[in-house]
Amino acid sequence: MPSFRISVTPSRRAAGRFVTQVRRSLQKAYAEEKKKSGLTQTDIARAIKVHRSVINRELRGHKDITVGRAGELAWAMGRVATFGCLEPVVTAGTNHFASTNASSCGAQMVPIPVIGAASLKPANNNLTPVLEAAAN
Amino acid sequence: MATVLELEAAGSLFKLDPDLQQGIQELRCIYVSPRLKTWIENDLPNLESTWKVELTPQEQLQAFVEEVFCPGEPLTYEWHFRPISHVKDGIWELKTADIRMFGWFSIKDCFIGSAANLTDLVKQHGLYHGYADEAARFRDQLDLTPPKFIPGDNPHAVVSNFGYP
Repeated sequence: MPSFRISVTPSRRAAGRFVTQVRRSLQKAYAEEKKKSGLTQTDIARAIKVHRSVINRELRGHKDITVGRAGELAWAMGRVATFGCLEPVVTAGTNHFASTNASSCGAQMVPIPVIGAASLKPANNNLTPVLEAAAN
Repeated sequence: MATVLELEAAGSLFKLDPDLQQGIQELRCIYVSPRLKTWIENDLPNLESTWKVELTPQEQLQAFVEEVFCPGEPLTYEWHFRPISHVKDGIWELKTADIRMFGWFSIKDCFIGSAANLTDLVKQHGLYHGYADEAARFRDQLDLTPPKFIPGDNPHAVVSNFGYP
């Protein structure tokens, strides 16, 4: 079978996967909040005091997202950014043996629980971005 | 007339084998033309991001293929961020920030790529229709059992779990 693979080193493969996971988590959170409350990229830009085009480029992958900016974006969407480095779980019978890599690192944007009538809008609340790093 | 697998065995197409994480099934697949395989192996590793982002075009494609496309993840959460677009005549482009890959879907979730290039070059020189025409010619010449492709511009017709309603 003449199949082939894209030859990327394991470390860069892990980097690519993680960057993709973070950006897709932010895109997903944005899409959900847009549907739920009509959030726009302009709202996010105003909340963190940057131009709307910056938000657009970051969400589309035309601009890198720093760890700090991931927290800011999540906060502006009424979410909390979380991050963790987990030990790979090796399961017998899966398609390959888990190698030592960072693919078990993951990021997600979780909704902030709403208590009472508290607003999720960043302009009038006292939410702070939370970045939890649990390194093993 | 031959199936995609027979064309692969004959060396007319090459399967892009994703290095999926353990326990992840390949739910969408990508085959490429000999020309595109050569480009991925020889040219793509030397390209730099036009946007100057940390992932090189090669790493962007690898991440898209192995993290999103082949595992069958939702392709997009919002229309604005969709990574596939119809060009014309059943020819689609797969998109990353820096890469455009042109081809068609022989059956649902099976993409056959003809050619690819940097997004910036494709846009600057207006190469969308040129690449689409080239992909259509390659499709016509390929001894693939009809129907050779899924017609139309509906993303839900060509991929499962497109995501955006």
